[in-house]
Amino acid sequence: MKRKVCIVPIMLIIIVMLIGGCTSNEAEGPVVLTVWHDKEQPIIDVLVEALKNLEPEIVVQFEKKNGLTEALKLVGNNPNAAPDMYFFAHDKIGVYAEMGILAAITDFLDASELDALVPITVESATYKETVYQLPLYFETLLFMYNKEWVTDVEVLRDTDSLLMHMEKAKRMGRFGFVEQHSNAYYAAGWVHGFGATILEASGEPKLNSEEMKAAMTYHKRFVSFMPGESEYATVNTLFREGKADMTIGGPWMVPTLRAAGIDLGLAVMPIISQTGKPLAPYTGVQGIHVLKVSADSKADEIKTVLTALIQPEVGKNIALASGSAPANEKAYEADDIKNDDMVMMMRATAENSVPMPNVPEMDVMWTVMTNMLVEINMSGKSIDETVESAQKKALELISNMK
Amino acid sequence: MSKPRINQKIMPYILSAPSLLLISLIIVFPILYTFYISLTNMNVYNWFTFTFVGLRNYSRALFVFDAGFITAMGTTVVWTVVNMVLQLSIAFIMASFLGVKQLRFRKVYKTILMFPWAMPGYVSILLWKTGIFNVQFGLLNQWLSRFGIEGFMWLSNNVSAFVSSVIVNLWLALPFMIMIMDGALQSIDKSYYESAQLDGANWLDQMWHITMPSIKSIIGPAVIITVFTTFKQFDVIYLLTQQAGGKTGANIHTILTYAYENAFITNNYGYSSAISILIFLFLIAFSLLTRVKLRDNSKI
Repeated sequence: MKRKVCIVPIMLIIIVMLIGGCTSNEAEGPVVLTVWHDKEQPIIDVLVEALKNLEPEIVVQFEKKNGLTEALKLVGNNPNAAPDMYFFAHDKIGVYAEMGILAAITDFLDASELDALVPITVESATYKETVYQLPLYFETLLFMYNKEWVTDVEVLRDTDSLLMHMEKAKRMGRFGFVEQHSNAYYAAGWVHGFGATILEASGEPKLNSEEMKAAMTYHKRFVSFMPGESEYATVNTLFREGKADMTIGGPWMVPTLRAAGIDLGLAVMPIISQTGKPLAPYTGVQGIHVLKVSADSKADEIKTVLTALIQPEVGKNIALASGSAPANEKAYEADDIKNDDMVMMMRATAENSVPMPNVPEMDVMWTVMTNMLVEINMSGKSIDETVESAQKKALELISNMK
Repeated sequence: MSKPRINQKIMPYILSAPSLLLISLIIVFPILYTFYISLTNMNVYNWFTFTFVGLRNYSRALFVFDAGFITAMGTTVVWTVVNMVLQLSIAFIMASFLGVKQLRFRKVYKTILMFPWAMPGYVSILLWKTGIFNVQFGLLNQWLSRFGIEGFMWLSNNVSAFVSSVIVNLWLALPFMIMIMDGALQSIDKSYYESAQLDGANWLDQMWHITMPSIKSIIGPAVIITVFTTFKQFDVIYLLTQQAGGKTGANIHTILTYAYENAFITNNYGYSSAISILIFLFLIAFSLLTRVKLRDNSKI
């Protein structure tokens, strides 16, 4: 009897929950838009502040997602699990566009509204003539130096001087310059400085070009004066602890360096003495992408959100919070931005840099290029043979993508 | 008369049904789904519109089993054998020491020895990589520098990277093996040893004729589980030497790290699933072989 008494309320609760689950969700209330991201909180705070005015009709929820790119592959077309938008770099656009989960930004904003943005950002966000991202800011690697060891006047303008400085510093038991020498993202600056490219816009790898061989040969001379390990933690720590005079790093390093008491200087990338061109690292354009699953059902709300985010004020505030360069040209008219050395240096460097390819083939090139660098710089393999086998491997993997 | 007999037949199935259902959901369904995907052209270009392509992915997958794969297979076998031999020997020695009655604070030592097992593997591996093996800041090179010896790049050549990976794997795996070995040793009736001593058996005789046969049946399943865990290990070698952005220059590959670099990064799920299924079949065959071998041994 006691058991029956317990079962009755449990059954009632289940029935009520089931009925509750069956009710229509078209009840009046705010439209909630979910945005997945992988960004630092100060940047998200700027967006939250900018979108506060849209409440209570539209509520935008930002969710930090680990493994965002893989999660989107799994649930990108599932209306119950996918976000409405995501905030990420432009280099995955080709993958998601081919998968068919992205909506064009021009479905929500007039193409003329994008004219207010720095051209390189819109070009980066375009895949097969469709713009899939609303660019908010762009970032690239910066040439950084520790003013304790290198004065503003002494900052090296070309790579031959840099090499001499590295030799001298090594004799003194220091590192003149450190970088993640065997990482494709960081080494790309040297590659582009020699006129070589990792992947053509058409998706064709170009690892065995003469320019690439020249870049690898020249770059290796610098590697011999750097620490054997080239991972982020080692390079960052050497510079942060004042054991290295100069480095190449992203704006994300700046807050920790300043907090560590490093008297940080920023300079434009040095000119490669052999080619007369500066190091030209990759640029990443960060922005909002809209998923197709929400494009129709929440079109008006998405349009309102994108219109709010394209405003110069948003770009300006993100730049001040993160040190990156705003995508909106008008943001540069603000005095805060004009007087911010880091933001202006970022823009100057980014204009000489190369946007990361956004074609799907780039997904495999990171691994192939990094393996090639490791074999040349760390395993001491022959450059000619390594670039040829890397090119072969790249073609094989790209063919296996299909 | 027949009713209880039917109940006897059906009852075990009814009782084990919940576990079987759970196993089906967690283990069998993913395997079947992977097999299904392996028969399709699911890739970036046909992500949601994939179609059935028969065994085409399997014929392509066989190309990944090239010379590099054979080398990786050899490395995997050596990796498994070295790890198993060391794990069993060290665990046996440690468990024997822990069994010494005169040893004070035995329980404290046992608790401390379990510590690596309680830590997430990912954290342990990265701690070893940056805290111990790092050329600039690692503990090993700090010690060497105290003696005026130049730092060594532990993870940059194949031999030292392999040895370093084995050490890390031992750190991760030993607690489990010590626990099993300790339990097995504790379960042996002490009167066997007393009788053997009265018969004049020395330490080696006792070990060979009492300890080994007694613990074999207990540690057998643990050894089989560990062999498979070690054989299909990915994290230790990958995180120590091949992690994106942290490659060290060593070129040691197990079959899984090799398959990852040569198939999984292509985002071609049909093709990658075919490779996974082939590796799975290989492991099943290996498992059957091990079972047959163990059964033969038990008959002897």
